[in-house]
Amino acid sequence: KTMSDVLSDDGSINQDDSQEDVMTPAELIAKLEEAWLNEKFSPELLESKSEVVECVMEQLTHMESNLQRVKKGDAKASVHRMEIDRIRFVLSSYLRSRLQKIEKFFPHVLEKEKSRGEGDPSLLSPEEFAFAKEYYANTETYLKAVALKRMPPNLQTVDLLKAVPEPCLDSFVFLRVKERQENILVEPETDDQREYVVDLEEGSQHLIRYRTVAPLVSSGAVQLI
Amino acid sequence: MDPSEVEFLAEKEMVKIIPNFSLDKIYLIGGDLGPFNPGLPVDVPVWLALNLKQRQKCRIVPPEWMDVEKLEEMRELERKEDTFTPVPSPYYMELTKLLLNHASDNIPKADEIRTLVKDIWDTRIAKLRLSADSFISQQEAHAKLDNLTLMEINTIRSLLLDSLNCMFKLRSNLQPGSSKGQFMDY
Repeated sequence: KTMSDVLSDDGSINQDDSQEDVMTPAELIAKLEEAWLNEKFSPELLESKSEVVECVMEQLTHMESNLQRVKKGDAKASVHRMEIDRIRFVLSSYLRSRLQKIEKFFPHVLEKEKSRGEGDPSLLSPEEFAFAKEYYANTETYLKAVALKRMPPNLQTVDLLKAVPEPCLDSFVFLRVKERQENILVEPETDDQREYVVDLEEGSQHLIRYRTVAPLVSSGAVQLI
Repeated sequence: MDPSEVEFLAEKEMVKIIPNFSLDKIYLIGGDLGPFNPGLPVDVPVWLALNLKQRQKCRIVPPEWMDVEKLEEMRELERKEDTFTPVPSPYYMELTKLLLNHASDNIPKADEIRTLVKDIWDTRIAKLRLSADSFISQQEAHAKLDNLTLMEINTIRSLLLDSLNCMFKLRSNLQPGSSKGQFMDY
């Protein structure tokens, strides 16, 4: 069998359980890359993009199983394999970025996830939530075993929420504008400066504090670069 | 971001190749490519073009902007202006390096092109260092950087962002009781 025989469908995804909007595979990969860059450059952990991750995994698994059925040395197989490797790289890097931030900010991440509203999007995937809880428990156990139990009785607890620094939302970020935004407030750096507003034209690039643009990153109106 | 990751993104740009083989359409997850017929130009992403070139299955056609006269004009303009001029490609530096390293035999006057692109890069990076310095010393809160490429931004990224964040930390500690006074120390 050749790749041509095996790949006869038009490749569009979500044909069965279409809870989400139907996206072309190309759009899906673009969404993954956007999520990857945003997560890489954002000072805080962003919303979990589980649907994108799951769909990409599906596409990769589907393509890989097709490749298994093809005879060795098929001309197209190596091209497909190269593409799969590239997508896997982005996916792994994205998930690693998130894990790094979960480890760095673990008490805050858990607190935020526990206190979010019913309809609010998840900060963590189920697996990430389990990981964060384990990390918290392990850190507590470790600190207790290594130091705390030897402290005087009134100093044997540590409030991890206070002890672990929060993400610095005032970090500066670079961004590219996808949807025009008007009247974005720029806060002054020094006391003798005044605040002012800027318009973000579509396609323009800016350097600005993350705090002001955090909701725009969430909504997809800007892309961190 | 690692420069190799910027290069990874640059490899998605499309380039024209002339294949010496036949293959019908390939349906990649990211889009359709081909069909491939010997001698007929076809657009493919750079990552595939480089792979095919290495396996001696194609000739790469240099992009329109990779031309000595055009680049000389751009270099002159860049040297004249104080601001950043528009770039021939958002990935001009990476594409020049990749294409000249793997397909210089397909590119006329490759050495001159390499020098011209390096000159343009050097001029722009010098301007970038000046802008970054003035941004930090004037304690600006916002900058518009339309014509900068990702590779150029990435070159200055850690220096600029770390300095700005460090300054913010020092300033906010001047005001006792300011919120979010707890930052990671590096």
